[in-house]
Amino acid sequence: MISRDDVAYLATLSNLQLGEQEAADLQQDLEHIIEYIHQLDELDTSGVEPTYQVSGLENVSRDDLIDTYGLAPEALLALAPLAQDNQVKVPKVL
Amino acid sequence: MITPEILAKYKVTIGIECHVQLNTKTKLFSGADNDARNKEPNAVISPIDFGLPGMLPVLNKEAVILAVRAGKALESDIASVSRFDRKHYFYPDLPKGYQISQLYEPIIIGGVVRVPQEDGSVLDVRIHHAHMEEDAGKLTHYSDYSLVDLNRAGTPLIEIVSEPDMHSAVEAKAYATELYRLMTYAGVTNGDLYQGNMRFDVNISIAPLDAMELGTRAEIKNLNSFRSVERAAEYEYRRQADLLEKGERVIQETRGWDDAAQKTVSQRSKEDAQDYRYMPDPDIPPLRLTEDEIALYQSVVPRLPQYYRDAWRDLQLDRSVADSLLARRAIAELIEAVRVQAGSAATKHVAHWFASSLSDETSEITVGQDDAPRFIELSNMVTANELSSTAAKDIFNELLLGHDSPRIIAERKNILQVSDTGAIAAIVDEVLSDPASAQSVADIKEGKDKAIGFLVGQVMKRSAGTANPGLASQLIREKIKDL
Repeated sequence: MISRDDVAYLATLSNLQLGEQEAADLQQDLEHIIEYIHQLDELDTSGVEPTYQVSGLENVSRDDLIDTYGLAPEALLALAPLAQDNQVKVPKVL
Repeated sequence: MITPEILAKYKVTIGIECHVQLNTKTKLFSGADNDARNKEPNAVISPIDFGLPGMLPVLNKEAVILAVRAGKALESDIASVSRFDRKHYFYPDLPKGYQISQLYEPIIIGGVVRVPQEDGSVLDVRIHHAHMEEDAGKLTHYSDYSLVDLNRAGTPLIEIVSEPDMHSAVEAKAYATELYRLMTYAGVTNGDLYQGNMRFDVNISIAPLDAMELGTRAEIKNLNSFRSVERAAEYEYRRQADLLEKGERVIQETRGWDDAAQKTVSQRSKEDAQDYRYMPDPDIPPLRLTEDEIALYQSVVPRLPQYYRDAWRDLQLDRSVADSLLARRAIAELIEAVRVQAGSAATKHVAHWFASSLSDETSEITVGQDDAPRFIELSNMVTANELSSTAAKDIFNELLLGHDSPRIIAERKNILQVSDTGAIAAIVDEVLSDPASAQSVADIKEGKDKAIGFLVGQVMKRSAGTANPGLASQLIREKIKDL
């Protein structure tokens, strides 16, 4: 069961402001999702290792060499909705 | 009023978490330049640091190698398999919405820091673990908006978590200092405290002496000097004792250190504790290290501070002298090279010159063990009476700055002490025949030996300070006897 408090808590963690209707809709959606996932409970998973990765890869790393990825910082800053003095401008958070 | 008697009723318990910035060329998961010093905001950023959709972070091998080296300095085990996890929080200093860290299977497990104490004893502070993680960016707050600089976002860190094995502010400071030495000696960090290369979070609680359980702790975050670690711990000890004495309780919370006011201030309460929803990061495959790899990476770790303490025991240096030499690896290596090449007497000379010139912790040092022969030669010149102690100090300072030998510097400055009997004898004759000396000569003949000081002074003056004063006074005595 997902309570309204659970929804409010998740919204706080995600920095989201939800309207009454949105919260009610989300409560239902989340409940359906959890219900769906709960099907897994029918399986006996004793002795099964937790799945951390699905790729089967190990030790993927790169050498310590500078790479600009062909992009100037200006190009990245230009993606931000607002910028000022070479910085990304955001609403006051604290 | 908190008196020593009140404090003595409580036992303080301290554990420290320390973030150490690794000195790689690039960031932990992107190829962006890791050196943000003196750069414009957002000058060293990549699409990965910017958290753009579809970007794939890839682990920097060098950061792994440095973490393995740090593990040796901490006498830790290195995990044969370690993993990376996502720590979620929404704040503009990390655009991805999570920090990549290691919660469940960190790379460095256990360990101990053997902390030398003022009284010569050693305090073992156990290490719980240390994990790799990326740093966040920097926010600057204005009246109704904030600006985000992501230069530091993605910088590789290891966070070293100690067990709560410290029981005073002095011990906390001593631990922080020794940890700094270990990390800089092992070569894993530049150790620039001013740039925040090592940042300490101090967890501290107090409880009555007979209590079985620890008290509620407060965490003082982001201390970036040894002194602030000590002062913040001491302040917090008193603050918590004061609360308990008044019958109030300590609340579990994060506090900051206000250096100007010399006190800790509440930042956020753990009552609304963070829920980071950790989960394994599917982008970063597990890291597997073989015994051979670990041994190879650790084989290049240079000698650590304790090696030098043991090697120098017979020199019987003052603790403050030894500490100032140990503050920098290059100096410790140089002193050790002098000791091996020239023995105790020369080492003591050089050690004391360094100790008295190293008071300024920020001064740049460019000399190293290859310079040992120049410092040995300087010591030999003093022993052979070729230099006064003042002149030696003067030349020492020049040795720090350039590559000239002490003899070349002494000749250039014309401060070689004249120990040539003939040359000094000529000056002594001059001085004795000067009518101004007559009174002193008469005094000496009457047995007023102190009068010789004036004559020696005259010899030094006429030789522009280069005469060996011992030899001058001996010649004066001989000549007066013959008069």
